[in-house]
Amino acid sequence: MSDARNVLRKRIYRDRFFYFMLAPVIVFFIIWHYLPMWGVRIAFQDIRYIGANEWVGLKHFKMLFSSPVFARVFLNTITISAMKIGFFFPLPIILAFLFNEIRSAGFRKGVQSVIYVPHFLSWVVIAGVFISLLAAPDGAVNKILLFFRIEPVAFMTSTKWIRWVFVASEAWRSIGWDSILFIAAINSISPALYDAATVDGASRFQQAIHITLASIIPTIITVFILNMGFFMNAGFDQVFNMMNDAVINTVDIIDTYVYRVGLTKGNFSLGTAAGLFKGVIGLFLIISTDRASRRISGEGVW
Amino acid sequence: MVGRRFRKSPGEIVIALFLFLLAIAMIYPIYNQLVLSLTGPEFIAEADGTTLWPRGFTLVTYRSVLAIPKVYLGILNSLLITSVGLVVNIILTSMGAYVLIRKDLYGRPVFMTLIVITMIFEGGLIPDYFLMRDLHLLDTYWSVIMYKAVNPYYLIILMRFFAGVPPSLIEAARIDGYSEMRILFKIVIPVSIAGIATISLFYGVFHWNEYFRAMIYLTTEAKWPLQVILRELIVSLEKAAFIGAMNYQRAAGAATIAFKAIKASLIIIAILPIMAFYPFVLKYFVKGRMQGSVKE
Repeated sequence: MSDARNVLRKRIYRDRFFYFMLAPVIVFFIIWHYLPMWGVRIAFQDIRYIGANEWVGLKHFKMLFSSPVFARVFLNTITISAMKIGFFFPLPIILAFLFNEIRSAGFRKGVQSVIYVPHFLSWVVIAGVFISLLAAPDGAVNKILLFFRIEPVAFMTSTKWIRWVFVASEAWRSIGWDSILFIAAINSISPALYDAATVDGASRFQQAIHITLASIIPTIITVFILNMGFFMNAGFDQVFNMMNDAVINTVDIIDTYVYRVGLTKGNFSLGTAAGLFKGVIGLFLIISTDRASRRISGEGVW
Repeated sequence: MVGRRFRKSPGEIVIALFLFLLAIAMIYPIYNQLVLSLTGPEFIAEADGTTLWPRGFTLVTYRSVLAIPKVYLGILNSLLITSVGLVVNIILTSMGAYVLIRKDLYGRPVFMTLIVITMIFEGGLIPDYFLMRDLHLLDTYWSVIMYKAVNPYYLIILMRFFAGVPPSLIEAARIDGYSEMRILFKIVIPVSIAGIATISLFYGVFHWNEYFRAMIYLTTEAKWPLQVILRELIVSLEKAAFIGAMNYQRAAGAATIAFKAIKASLIIIAILPIMAFYPFVLKYFVKGRMQGSVKE
């Protein structure tokens, strides 16, 4: 026993410089990540400015769940996320397939380097660009609509359209970047498979379905479940920068609610409770999607 | 060449055409902002979303906008936060990655678990804010620099690069009496320069684009980075409110410029540093994306 302890002590002593090097990193994570996790306790407290905070159990959660505003916020979060996954998720996959049909490497590279650009822009910039692009009546989109004799639409302030603006701007920003993973998966397919299929007389379309699609299904599933794990986020930066008073009831999501009600209006406990509620659902989603991934592809996401 | 072109199937031509149009759709909205920012004051009223060329080409918008104190301070603040942030990021992330690739390090699984947990669960906005307050970091640049000093995703990417350094190289240096710090900075980092470049780019873009934490942590306007200034401009509807009554005198030039031109020029200024590096660094980004395989 003491022998084993001695060996261990020697090992730690031998590696002491490594521990010194790792220490600042671990200290960073403890201070900037674990202290805020402990800070979440104010969701169960009433804040007192004099003396210790008072524990109030689930009071703030009860308040949250009986609030019609939060119910709407919760529903918005789910709706916006579902719209993004439903309408945006297939696009990078389709794009990767289209690239695979282009045989000129120069053309492919050229187009790819252009469509990755929006990914590197901040949501502040993207909001500015989209507000201008969709402006009524003289933004580019309304100009084009006018050309086809369609009435201009004030997209940014229309409760009917604003969520579609989210889907569209998400697509604009991420379609290229998200296609990289699928392009990489397609590139790793053995060319011998295509050769064999060509000999067997398969058309290019048949090859795309039976070889390309069949081969990248594990990648598609992995990326899909990974997205599901972040379902409750719904894209704070996007919503926060594109929202305005005209559409706030349609686009307000949990994260913007936490900011507005929690931070700017000073209902710290209520805001923290909302954030924690979101975090717990997110955690549950991540764990269950990881389980699902292990079952389907034999490999966890994490 | 001609022979090859004839062999292209009609399907491939249609796809190529579609991709070409997609590339235009990606770049056009940005190009349009560039056009608006360069259009002369006498033509700006007629310029709109479909204007393809800046009539009365002029740099007067940029000159006026850059003369607004909060704009040039914003640029300086962004540069400061990005550069100091990068140094902190690179030093901490490479120290962490160098130690954590050692499989025989006692306690390694505990450290890794500690780090991975932060990828899936976080305290959230309000606890983060209170932490900054309790650390007395509110309204200091450090609040914005430190809150993502080590990004666990990038740490893992760098670990993969470091794991590719030949162990014989490290062993030889150790025999020569190099300290571990010296091995890291003189051997491991120079050998994995592609990895350092990759995470520097990710961190650099992150800092340059950061606005939200700056907005809530920094209460002094003179400390705001460019993105916060730009956001204020985009959400506020009035030019006077943006330039500020106090600054009207000093920013007299901007007062005469159309609001849409001011917005457009600031958008272009915010994009410019990224676009300047972009052509040279794209391959690192793409490589990092493939290696990361996780979101963000």
